[in-house]
Amino acid sequence: MEAEVKDQLVSIEKPELIAPPNWEPVIMGILCNWCSYAGSDLTGTSRIQYPPNIRIIRVPCSSRVDPWFLIKSLQTTADGVLVSGCHPGDCHYISGNYFARRRFLVTKKLLNFVGFHENRIQFSWVSAAEGPKFAKVVNKVTEDIKKLGPLHLYKKENFEKK
Amino acid sequence: MNYTKQIQDIASQLFAEGKIDVFVGYRLNGFDDNQVPVLIKDPQDVHKLVFTDKSVFNLVNYLKTDHTRRKRVGLVVKGCDSRSLNLMLTENQVKRENIYVVGICCEGVTDDAGQKMQNCVDCMVPDAVVSDELLGTASGADTLTYKMNADVAALSNIPLTERAAYFEEVFENCIRCNACRHSCPLCYCAKCCIDQETATLYNGANTTSAAFHALMTWSLHLAGRCVDCRNCEKACPSHLPLHLLHKQNESVIFENFQEHLAGVIPEDRGAFYKYSLKDPDDFIM
Repeated sequence: MEAEVKDQLVSIEKPELIAPPNWEPVIMGILCNWCSYAGSDLTGTSRIQYPPNIRIIRVPCSSRVDPWFLIKSLQTTADGVLVSGCHPGDCHYISGNYFARRRFLVTKKLLNFVGFHENRIQFSWVSAAEGPKFAKVVNKVTEDIKKLGPLHLYKKENFEKK
Repeated sequence: MNYTKQIQDIASQLFAEGKIDVFVGYRLNGFDDNQVPVLIKDPQDVHKLVFTDKSVFNLVNYLKTDHTRRKRVGLVVKGCDSRSLNLMLTENQVKRENIYVVGICCEGVTDDAGQKMQNCVDCMVPDAVVSDELLGTASGADTLTYKMNADVAALSNIPLTERAAYFEEVFENCIRCNACRHSCPLCYCAKCCIDQETATLYNGANTTSAAFHALMTWSLHLAGRCVDCRNCEKACPSHLPLHLLHKQNESVIFENFQEHLAGVIPEDRGAFYKYSLKDPDDFIM
């Protein structure tokens, strides 16, 4: 019993130990206004089902996504993050997603380097016409994160006094 | 490597000609053969200046202080320091005409134990890339073949859970003194985003989680700009291996974007200020 509690406090990723029954992941979805947000809207209006685990935040452009957003969401509530923007070449601001792409790779590699599974930080290009693709992406991300279990690494509540 | 005499001569000549108000160099700390930075304002103090292989600190950091702001400054830079000076010039933090740069063709500096520092063993740019006067003979080192940091390579190959445990211990030992930030020449913001108390992103607690948040943010703000001078590691009271985060970012940037090292080319703002259509896209769904 004591060892189990200690494992929870130590908060190293051990999904099989810590996942409670009926646990559902929380996924932070950061979507660009011009493509992916409209794409997710199309998914809804086309009556295509996708998991309700994703919490969507609208940003002007995928280049608006500061790596800080990912760090902070992983540190507080989220079990995983999905960032989505326009396809390369389709950016409303001409080149925003090209700049974002570089940052995403470095952020993903760095978070993986300090101990997050690479499936917890995911990126996608979804255009405004790709409703079914958005549903597919959210399904895949939710499945991936369900397999990994709840995230305990560096979680804020594990370290602050109750 | 001993340029004490030359630097003293240059400094006294600059003072005599009235070219500078303050000279930033190294002096002995008074206890042993280790050195500390010194700001010389009086020509009579020039004899305090030394430069040997114990001159470890990055003096470009002192261009941030009130002692040097809006003044004419003489400065000693090694290869890595000159790259950070180059970045500060590019980012309009200092004016080139206000600075007289004494560049050194560095042969590597040593740590407390007398060993050559790890970043000097891996150094790709030993010669000062910006200087008014260059001391020593240029090595003509190759700046294009990247030397992967051995610690980063070793950590990348161990399982994820072990790596997580390792870094959890690293972040646990952080005391949030922010010495890394203050010692970094490229962290010159008057108000750091980590300290903005009105922002919802603020996290001032001294916990592992808060240290993770602060150090990750810090290292990502320096990604593509860090010059591997290791001032942060020298300043850290907990001896955290901070270079791991920076070298990880640097290796990803160097391998994937075909960028040159930060600060080597003048007027180059680093990897995140430009893009290429050929950047890797395979990690995106």
